[in-house]
Amino acid sequence: MPSVNIVNGRQIVVEQLDPGQRLARFLAKPFEQMRDHQELIQAVLRRELRARFQGSVGGWFWAVVAPLVAIGVYTFAFTTNLQLPLADTMGSHRVAYALFIFSGIVVFNFFSEMAYRSPMLLHEYAHYIKQTIFPSDMLAVIAMLRATAYTVISVVVMLIFQLAVSGKLQWTALLIPFVFPPLMAFLAGMAWFLCAVGAFTRDAGYLMINIVPLFMFATPVFYPHNSLSPPWDLLIYANALTGYIEVMRDIVLLGKLPNPLVIGWILVTSISTFYFGYWFFDRYRNVIVDVI
Amino acid sequence: MSSSTSSEVVVRARHLGKAYQLYARRGDWLKQVMFGWWKTYYKPFWVLRDVDLDVYRGESIGILGRNGCGKSTLLQVICGMTLPSNGELRVNGRIAPVLALGATFDAELSGRENIMIGGAVMGLKRTQILQKFDSIAEFAGIGDYMEQPVKHYSVGMRTRLAFAICAHVEADILVVDEALAVGDAAFQRKCLDWIDSFRKTGTLLFVSHSVVEVRRLCTRAIWIEDGRIRAHGEANDVIRAYHRALAMEKDDVHRFSARA
Repeated sequence: MPSVNIVNGRQIVVEQLDPGQRLARFLAKPFEQMRDHQELIQAVLRRELRARFQGSVGGWFWAVVAPLVAIGVYTFAFTTNLQLPLADTMGSHRVAYALFIFSGIVVFNFFSEMAYRSPMLLHEYAHYIKQTIFPSDMLAVIAMLRATAYTVISVVVMLIFQLAVSGKLQWTALLIPFVFPPLMAFLAGMAWFLCAVGAFTRDAGYLMINIVPLFMFATPVFYPHNSLSPPWDLLIYANALTGYIEVMRDIVLLGKLPNPLVIGWILVTSISTFYFGYWFFDRYRNVIVDVI
Repeated sequence: MSSSTSSEVVVRARHLGKAYQLYARRGDWLKQVMFGWWKTYYKPFWVLRDVDLDVYRGESIGILGRNGCGKSTLLQVICGMTLPSNGELRVNGRIAPVLALGATFDAELSGRENIMIGGAVMGLKRTQILQKFDSIAEFAGIGDYMEQPVKHYSVGMRTRLAFAICAHVEADILVVDEALAVGDAAFQRKCLDWIDSFRKTGTLLFVSHSVVEVRRLCTRAIWIEDGRIRAHGEANDVIRAYHRALAMEKDDVHRFSARA
């Protein structure tokens, strides 16, 4: 049955469009939504960033301390008694191994924060979604931006640490800002999918709590992606994080330009995840309001 | 409808229907999502059926009906909080929903922060909210509580704050749902006076169980029963018909009186 819903003369649910126009509209829609609601996104994001350390005396100090402690522990562990067979492949400097792990952890933590939080995201904000004209699809974007803020802090801490220990940075580290947009798109898509599923069943949240730690071992965080034996060294790229971690290590630690094939693969998986997630969320969004 | 009047129609609903999906078991949600294209796992529960409504610019419409008749659902659909299951809806202009006042606040945040977010939800820019902040605080009249977390507020205070935000949105259409019942008499009067002045420029959809308020504020009224529009017209006529129907039921009430 035809259904037309126009609010402010703008929001049109069903209309007569040819497939090309429909595709263009679909591709533009998430960005249009972000543009239209940017003030709201900022307001909620500001509140979320403030709330994270609310009630603590240290405040934002903790956001810097946490990665610093982590990186310190890795350095201590790998420069003292712990001997790993991989250490010599990473060059003479043992701090390099700590940085090697940390660069993997940064990407993985970005992912895991989103994976843990997304299934509960709509429940967390149920009071907004049910009672106001809150754009529910923007919650995943807000969560993603919040996680991005902490990831950026971690990356900065990592670079400062690298500079302090080795005295120099790779010039390719300037490319880091280009790694973020596709990674953010990938995680936003994942968040849309997970929060839509999480709205229907709380099992999604429990599933993530169990899966994410295991998933860490399917991600080359503690080992180099190329240390695997033949079928697996390609299969591990099915894990989209592999590409990001490889690129991150290439540009931050090794100072070489990433493999174009890997970049292509990252872009394909991220953009398709972004749109699949949005499509899935958008498809069930009106049901979601009634379920929560 | 001729084209000359259609520009003035701010809310236009045709055959509007809303069904909630009732599931026998909780897990059936998931089945419906995954296999919905193959088989239906829910029973539709119709809360709104075949509602036709035209609201013209500057009009005030009262909505009457008993609890659970679908009034609030109708308002939620008009405000765009839930999508209608079928039918056609067209809304021109910015809506300020004054529904479930205060229920949308984040209890951990202070009144000030809730104003910032609440205003942004209604589509105000940060600079606009900051500009209007003092005026909002004055309207709410909750004094130093403004800096306290909302969890320490009484229900009446939440309502004050929420209504104060809604009053500053500069909406074209105001949708009020039994919002004022919890405020004290002075605040109720303040709100009603404000709504009265709002009516000069804006359009009002007003749900209330207080027939006096409806009579004071509304020129037209609709009476909803079981999700359908039962009567529609001049406010006084509809109120009279509604009263008659309620009076017929009064007889039943005696069966449940506290002291038999």
